[in-house]
Amino acid sequence: MYLQLAIRNLGRTKVRSALAIVGIIIGVTAITSIGIFGENLKHIVLESFGDIANEVIILPNFKEGYKIIDEKTIEIVKKSPYSSQVIPVKTSSEEIRFRDKKRIATVYGMDERAVMTLFEAENGTISLKAGRCVIGNVLADALGVKVGSKISVDNHIYRISAILKKEGARFDITPNSALIISEKAHKSNYTMVIVKLKNLDEIEPFKDFIEKTVNLKKEKVDVIEMKRILDRINKAFNQVNLFLMAIAGISLLVAGVSILNIMLMSTIERTKEIGVMRAIGAQKTTILKIFLLEALMLGVGGSIVGSLLSIAGGYLITKLIIGRAVSIFSITTLFYIFGGFFFGIITSVLSGLYPAWKASNLEPIEALRYE
Amino acid sequence: MKVVVFENVSKVYRTKYYEVRALDEINLEVRRGEFLAIMGPSGSGKSTMLNLIGCLDKPTKGEIYIKGNPISGLSDSELTDLRRDTIGFVFQQYNLISTLTTLENVELPMIFSRRNSEERRKKAEKLLKLVGIEEVADRKPFEISGGQQQRVAIARAMANDPEILLCDEPTGNLDTNSGLQIMEILRNLNRRGVTIILVTHNESLKEFADRVVRLRDGRIVDVSSVSH
Repeated sequence: MYLQLAIRNLGRTKVRSALAIVGIIIGVTAITSIGIFGENLKHIVLESFGDIANEVIILPNFKEGYKIIDEKTIEIVKKSPYSSQVIPVKTSSEEIRFRDKKRIATVYGMDERAVMTLFEAENGTISLKAGRCVIGNVLADALGVKVGSKISVDNHIYRISAILKKEGARFDITPNSALIISEKAHKSNYTMVIVKLKNLDEIEPFKDFIEKTVNLKKEKVDVIEMKRILDRINKAFNQVNLFLMAIAGISLLVAGVSILNIMLMSTIERTKEIGVMRAIGAQKTTILKIFLLEALMLGVGGSIVGSLLSIAGGYLITKLIIGRAVSIFSITTLFYIFGGFFFGIITSVLSGLYPAWKASNLEPIEALRYE
Repeated sequence: MKVVVFENVSKVYRTKYYEVRALDEINLEVRRGEFLAIMGPSGSGKSTMLNLIGCLDKPTKGEIYIKGNPISGLSDSELTDLRRDTIGFVFQQYNLISTLTTLENVELPMIFSRRNSEERRKKAEKLLKLVGIEEVADRKPFEISGGQQQRVAIARAMANDPEILLCDEPTGNLDTNSGLQIMEILRNLNRRGVTIILVTHNESLKEFADRVVRLRDGRIVDVSSVSH
């Protein structure tokens, strides 16, 4: 009966109740849609880093003045029981010429098999043997080269065996604007070692291994964990997402104030009715219950519609801003939908708390006299 | 047995600027099953007296006993329980809940006393039949006449089988005929053992009472029995 009473009380001020529900719908939709968008953005960014969580990069300890990684270090790393693949990389910056065009670009010196492991060819077949090289997509476009073109690097001629597919953001090698030649052909020293570990649990033992071998006497190298970087990115995105949701939450706050307002008006309008109910035996808690039930119903109504609309809202925002929506129906999206739903309800109930308390604490005699 | 006792009861309303002595040293006993009419001009303290009996207000001085129990020490919750289980209210303005049907209005006090839905529905139907308006059970208060609304209010007041029925000008808003019908219903309830305390201006209604208490300026100026 309390439920029926609450429904009918809301029904007698239909427009006002509808506006309060619209407020909750907007708030819940805004929060949840932004949450879904943020989750998609994070998903797409992290996806572009590929499967690099079990990767570590060994760099010279620049702080201690080391600029290269020596052969001995590479040998030690190769003997580590934790690594499944060790990719030493030479790096230099060179002028690259093709006909009358020239560009300054990064030139990597790497093992051919390692290049095949890390990258895919868009055109041609990856080969670094006998004066061949592979070129990044962006650099190839800038120079106007094709597979088979001959280019000049530091007065050496290389034939392009493959143009690499465009890569997303990476922390180890960025090949889009670079050229890759064989380790032997590259005249510089090693500047980086990419180590793929057998699994994530091997990261700490591997770091210990490096500390006890390569860095035993002097801190010669730094070990950078990809997982930690990805975790930080993940955390940063979560914080940004939370911030965006907090901004969207202002709309829910406004909806809450609107509920507070209409419930206070309702308390004033129904003062006499409250007095009658108290006179015929309603306890204070009963009045509190009736008013909170009304706030709850506004919240449930608005939150259900808002949650459903947020699926479409999240999809649309993601599609419009990022161009593609990858995780609209994922577990995380469901989390945001349920989160938005409950947040809407909590806002409504909290907003109804003061008017309900005020209504329940009216003196019956004063309430009965109210005109 | 005395169901209501006033012992040196005074009620003073104080505001920032003035003080109103609504009741002054009232002593009164109401017997179980009595039909008592409280009469007097406006401002004589009739409604204040009714509100005190109804536990809607507390005296400034003195003590009120309901069924032998003093009410001054009772908490808000205990007073509410006392109102719900022992006292029924009939107001001049009917004061029905406009969003509920007449049947639901009668059910309401039984909801507050946590009776199950089937029991309260049957009881509400029985009460509407008792006051002769079972045919309007599904209508909302604004869909029925004033006389019918007052009958619904009486049925609602009787929902929890109260021993005392407090009626504040129950015929004040009704035409003569409807007023008489309401008074007949009250007389029948009184014959069934319900103590009725009626506040009215209307001199003609004293004929329904066993005793008349007259108030003036917050004091009892006359108590008289009515011979039938």
